[in-house]
Parts: sequence; structure tokens; C-alpha cells
Amino acid sequence: MSKVRKSAIVAALVLPVGVWAFAEVEAKIRFDDVSVKSGMQVQHHTRRFNGPNADVLRMFTSGGASAAVYDYDGDGLDDIFVTDSDNGKPNHLFHNNGNMTFTDVAVQAGVAKGNDPNTIVADALWFDYDNDGKEDLLVARFGTPILYHNEGGGKFKDVSATSGLNKFGNTIAVIAFDYDNDGFLDIMLGNYFKPENLLELKDPHVLPNDLDNAVNGGGVTLWHNTGKGSFVDVTDKAGFGKHTGWTLDLGHGDLNNDGFQDVYLACDYGTDRIFFNNGDGTFAEKTEKSIGFDTRKGMNVDIADYDNDGWLDIYVTNITDEYMKECNMLWHNNHDGTFTDVSKETNTCETLWGWAAKFGDFDNDGWQDLFVVNGLRSGSKENYIPVLVNLITTPGVDFTDVRLWPNIGNMTWSGYQKKKMFRNLHGETFKEISAEAGVDNDKDGRGIAMGDFDNDGKLDIFQTNADQLPILYHGATQGGGNWVQFALTGTKSNRDAIGARITVIAGGLTQIQEINGGNGYAGQSMRRAHFGIGKAAKIDSVEIHWPSGAKEKVTNVAMNKLNKITEGKGLQR
Amino acid sequence: MLSGAILVAAAFVAVPAFAADDTYAKAAQAMAAKDYGTAVTLLKEAVEAEPDSLRNASELRQAVIKQTLAAHPKTEGAVADFDNEIAFFDKLVAAHPMSSNAYLNFGFAYVDKIPAAGAITQVILANTALTQFSKSIDLKPTWIALYTRGNSYLYWPKVFLRASLGVADLERAYGMQKAEGKKSYHVRVYISLGDGYWKTDQMDKATAMWKEGLAAFPNSQPLKDRLSKQGDDLATYINNVLDPNRRVDTDLRELWSTGQ
Repeated sequence: MSKVRKSAIVAALVLPVGVWAFAEVEAKIRFDDVSVKSGMQVQHHTRRFNGPNADVLRMFTSGGASAAVYDYDGDGLDDIFVTDSDNGKPNHLFHNNGNMTFTDVAVQAGVAKGNDPNTIVADALWFDYDNDGKEDLLVARFGTPILYHNEGGGKFKDVSATSGLNKFGNTIAVIAFDYDNDGFLDIMLGNYFKPENLLELKDPHVLPNDLDNAVNGGGVTLWHNTGKGSFVDVTDKAGFGKHTGWTLDLGHGDLNNDGFQDVYLACDYGTDRIFFNNGDGTFAEKTEKSIGFDTRKGMNVDIADYDNDGWLDIYVTNITDEYMKECNMLWHNNHDGTFTDVSKETNTCETLWGWAAKFGDFDNDGWQDLFVVNGLRSGSKENYIPVLVNLITTPGVDFTDVRLWPNIGNMTWSGYQKKKMFRNLHGETFKEISAEAGVDNDKDGRGIAMGDFDNDGKLDIFQTNADQLPILYHGATQGGGNWVQFALTGTKSNRDAIGARITVIAGGLTQIQEINGGNGYAGQSMRRAHFGIGKAAKIDSVEIHWPSGAKEKVTNVAMNKLNKITEGKGLQR
Repeated sequence: MLSGAILVAAAFVAVPAFAADDTYAKAAQAMAAKDYGTAVTLLKEAVEAEPDSLRNASELRQAVIKQTLAAHPKTEGAVADFDNEIAFFDKLVAAHPMSSNAYLNFGFAYVDKIPAAGAITQVILANTALTQFSKSIDLKPTWIALYTRGNSYLYWPKVFLRASLGVADLERAYGMQKAEGKKSYHVRVYISLGDGYWKTDQMDKATAMWKEGLAAFPNSQPLKDRLSKQGDDLATYINNVLDPNRRVDTDLRELWSTGQ
């Protein structure tokens, strides 16, 4: 039986007739590695520590290879900010030259700094905190963050001193969203270690107090945007103060369709947390009822409606390796504030030592596919796990004491792992296509930042790697479906339109996407919303639900184009 | 010759000569009525009265499992429930340091907790269970103790290089059962020893052991399953059997209820 016919039969069994147009797309998803040509051959460096526990601390802080995508200079081409983490190493701002090549302009722009003897760069985020139409940049650190104001003309100014963001934290993740829908973007910082400077370690008891149920991490901090160029810490007031887990990633989205942004926290060494927005500036933690407590190593949060049922779902990577069988979590939204993990049923359970994962429609068939990076440390043939297990199984051992952990040297720990890409089969299950798609590299992946860097309607992928060169994959799928992209500008809502929900109806399929402010570990993907619409000949309907509460139907949307929409003004030509 | 422990255990069924048997009978009634709380209380009394009884301790552990699963039906039980059970056995072995079966059940109590624990805690629990099994063997190297420890080693991923230790224990258990009359539970060693050979890359010996087992136990579906598979299919099958997230059946009832 031909692949096409078999697919059509499967589709007929599980899908309404109106979806036929999408079932016809049988493109072979493919990416080309254009890293060398791109000019972005800059290696990431994890922070090197001094002293007898240097190796252990370096291992525990081996994130930090992140990337953030945005067209900061408004030339119509998305650019990429890439972080480094070792002392004195510069960050990179890769300006898009338009032909899938990039030029590092970080020094000229004034955004290269951040790694110094007392602080470690770990993540980055583009957002327009003052709604002036020029995208600003936040660099998250083990330390205090740096806030760069976009001055225009390709120049940035460090405004950290007046930003109010002066609280020390070992921040590994940052997202921006307008939690109170007041029109200004707030930020949430995910903090890994408790707030103690690892570079001036006074107390060696800084590691997890339990490897499955740790409660001595850094939690999160929520910063409210005053609208006057500064932020105030509202962590306790908003209801996040009691969370003391090892936060590794943050995700936001309207998970219960009430118009307010909710939050999911992926935590290492213990349970993830889910907080629903009360709509009054506070959040209610609903972990037990909504998802249940877990003991896994949460590494990533991405949020999308993978089954096109009109409700956002959540994908979390964990660790599933020879010696630890955790399984990832694909939380299917049950439409009642609860979620069911369907990762095993959908074939998205096992991705080894997972890090970032991002949904994206790589063949433009109207269904969100998935890319997952993995791998902790690729070193010598000697395996660290048997060494580590001696510590773990020592009765009464104090895991928090960094001095007790065996040095890793150049040993390998979950290294040389093949990346995983999954094709979404009509929201029912996923099929692994990593090798045939050309993305099964074995680097020590960390972050994913997706974009359409040449505006060809095919998603491209930038993969960051710890202590290694990054990879740029150019989308090269042939025979994919039609597509449509949207760039939204808020007026009453925050100007970045983060939190806006776009509903597209085409070819009998209804899809939703929300503009997000940095979902996914160590990566911020393009702000534009990208919809594949299969072989649909026209788009039947586009509706925007803005964070302000306004709903706006948009007409005359162009297929296979980027459509710019301004709140209250519709399509901008 | 069969281990003394099994003979003693079987004797409990045949001759209810101990005071604890009355308590045990009441516990059995409570279990049948799904009154697990009462059953646990009574079985603890029975165990304390006869700390070397495999039967009483095994039934206590099964009662705890049923109790916690009933109370927490969407989970593998509450960690605290298993911790209480472990604490009970900890006190038991402290009070009866020469009781090999108490140590054996102490080890099983850690095994019972494994599915309810996180991935790294599972490693700690599995290792602690091995420690207790070893103490039991040091006191009295019975068939059940050697089979249990040997089988436990097989659950460890290859990277930890413990499968060969499991093979050594299982070969000793195999030797014991070859010297005994045939018992229904002996099929377990054929299965596990074959798995151990497979896990230590001795495929020919694995196949031979499973075939020998099937000759002795022609209705054994696990043996038929193994012998019908090869390569990746076999690996998937065995790895699934040895998945630490699946609850291991630690019910020892077969030792005294279907002895032949």
C-alpha cells in the first residue's frame, strides 16, 4: 500500500471530512546544515570555576548556551542573539544579512558583555518593555540581569541600574508576558540554585538536597513592569514565593482559555509546578489537581495545541536514558484545568537526556511537529555514571555538599546523543524522523531558537550546544503545504502582542497559536506566528484575541506571506 | 535439599502450631474484606511473634501495597506508607539480627517502594535492598535469597556491571534446585538465569537455559516468549520485564501454596 494511500485511510478513520486537504500533504521534512556558511561558528564555553570543586560546579552550571531571535533593527529579517558563559567571553548579536549569512555586531551594538568574574550569562530575551516600538534585550545571569534599551540605529544602552532588576539570583530562564494585562510586559526569572554566588562560594552546601524531590533551589521571581521603565518584585504578592524548586525552564500560555496567561515551571530534581492566573494579579498553584506531583528532572517547557482541539497542551522534557527511565511529558489539556500525560501514547516519551524542545510545523501541514535536543556531556570513553552511583548509594550522604561529588574530569555523562525530531500525525501520534530530516546530530544540545531567517515560509532551526559550536538548520522540506505568518503589534495591549491568541480556520481545520515571550529552554523563537495550512486554497477566517480583551476578525489575509496586523487597525499593508 | 526457610514456611500452612497463626488467620479475613488497615496491624503482630516467618512478613508487605494502592489509586502508592513499612522491618532486624528471612523481607520492603519513588531514589532503594539481601544470604544462603538477590542485580542497567553478580547468585540457586525435587517456583531461576546470560552477552547459554526450563516447565509462557524472540525484539521484551518503574511481584505465596 502506498504511503499516501495508507495515510489517507488513517486520516479518514480519525478525522472529519473537512480535514482531507491537510491529509494530502506528504512532504518529507528535511533540513540542511548551513552552519559553516552562516558565519555563526562561535563556540559556547561553560563557566570554569576555581578551587577543588571546580569540575562539579562547572558540570552543574553547564546550561547557558542560549539564543534569542528577533528582528531588532526592523529590516524585515530576524536576527539572533547568542550567549556565551565563561569569564570574559562575549555574547554575540548576529545580524541577518538576508542570504542565510550573519554578521556578529554585538560589540558595535553594545551587547557583548555580561560574563565577568562574578556573574555567568545563562539566557536572553527580546522584549519591548517600554512599548516604544524598538525591541529591548534582557540578558539573564547567575547574578543580576542586564537590561539593554534599544536606542535605535543598532545601538543599545545598559539601563540595568535604573531597571529595578537588582536582586541576585542564579537565573537560568526568563520569559516575558503581561500577567495582569495592563499593556506592559512583565518578566519572570527561573532560578536554578538558591541565591548564593557560586563564584564566591562561602557554603559548600549548594547542591540539591534530594535528587528527586529537592526543595532548596532558587524558585522563580516575578517582576511587574511599572510602565515607567522599571520593574518591581511581586513574587510573593503574586503567589510564587513558596516555590523553592530547581527551576530550569518557564512557559506561559492561556491554559484554561480565560484570557489570562498561566504559568508552567519545569523543575530539575523534583516536581514541576503549574500556576493558574486568577485574573487579579495573583496566581493559584494547582499542581496536585492539574498534573500531580512528579519526581522527574524537568528541563523544558513548550506550549502549543498539538491536536488542534482549541486548547493549549504542554511538552516537558525529562531524562530517559539507560540508567534513568523517566519519560518526557506531553500534557494533553483535558479542558477542565487538568492534564493527562500522553507522551507514551504519542511516541514522544524517550528523547534521552532532554533539553530544549520546540513545536513547529515543519511541513506546513497544519499540525505542530516537534524537535528535541539532548545530551549532557560528550567527553572521553570513561562513563561518569558508575562513578556517580557510588556517591548516590552511600548511606546518609549529604547530596548538597559540593565537596562530596566526584570530579568528572573529561568523563562522558549522557553524551553523544542523537537529536530527536517527530512528525505530528494528525494530532494522534508522532513519528520519529530525525535521521531522514537530517537533524540527528550528536552535539551536547541545549537551546532551540526557531525562525524563518530567509522568509521562505519554511521554519529554520538554530541549535545551541554547550562547549561546542551551534548549528543552523535551513528548512529544506519540498512539497510542503501553504502557510501564513502573522506579525502582531499591540496598541492597547503590550506592543509585542505577547499573549495574543490567533485562530486560523482553513481547509476545515481550526488552529490556535499564542504569541509567547520565550517559551522553551535556552531559546526564544521568532515572534511571528507561523501557520501551515496544507493544501487549503484559501484561509476561511483569522481572529485575534488580544491581551487587552479585544477580539478582532482580520480579512484579506494573504497566503504564503507575512501579514502585519495592528490591534484595532487590522491588516497593515 | 530445599532451604530450611521454605520448609518452615510450608509447615505454617500444614500445621498451624504457633500462636501467630491465629493472628494470621484474622489478618487473612481482614484482607479478604479489603480491610487493609486491620490486616496490616495484625500482620505486624504476627511478624513480631515470628520474625523468621517468610509467610507472615510477605503477607504484611502485600497488605501494605494493597492498602496504599487503594488509598492512592492513580499512583504507585504513597512514599510515606512504604517508609513506615521499612521502619518496621528496620526495627525487626535490629531486634532479631540472626533472622535471615527478616532481612530478606526487609530488602523486599525497599523493592516494594521503588515504583513509588523517583528515578534516582530508585537506585538508592535498589542498592539498599541488595544490602539487606546480602545480609540474609550471609546468615543463611537459601534458594529464595540467592534467587532474589540474583534477580535484583539484573534490574541494574548494564553500565553498572552488576549482571554478572546476578548470574553468580542465580547459578548457585540453580545448583540448589537441581539437587531438590521439582518445585513450581523453580521455573523462575530458569527464566532469570537465562536473562542474566543474555544480559552478559552469553546468548547461547541464555537460550540453553530457557530451553532447559521449558523442558521442565512446558507451560511456561515467559520461557516461550523469550525463546520465540530474537535480537531487538528480545531486548525490548527483557528490558520491559526489567523496567524499574514496573512494580515487581514480591509476593512469596508461591513458596508455600504451590510447593509441587
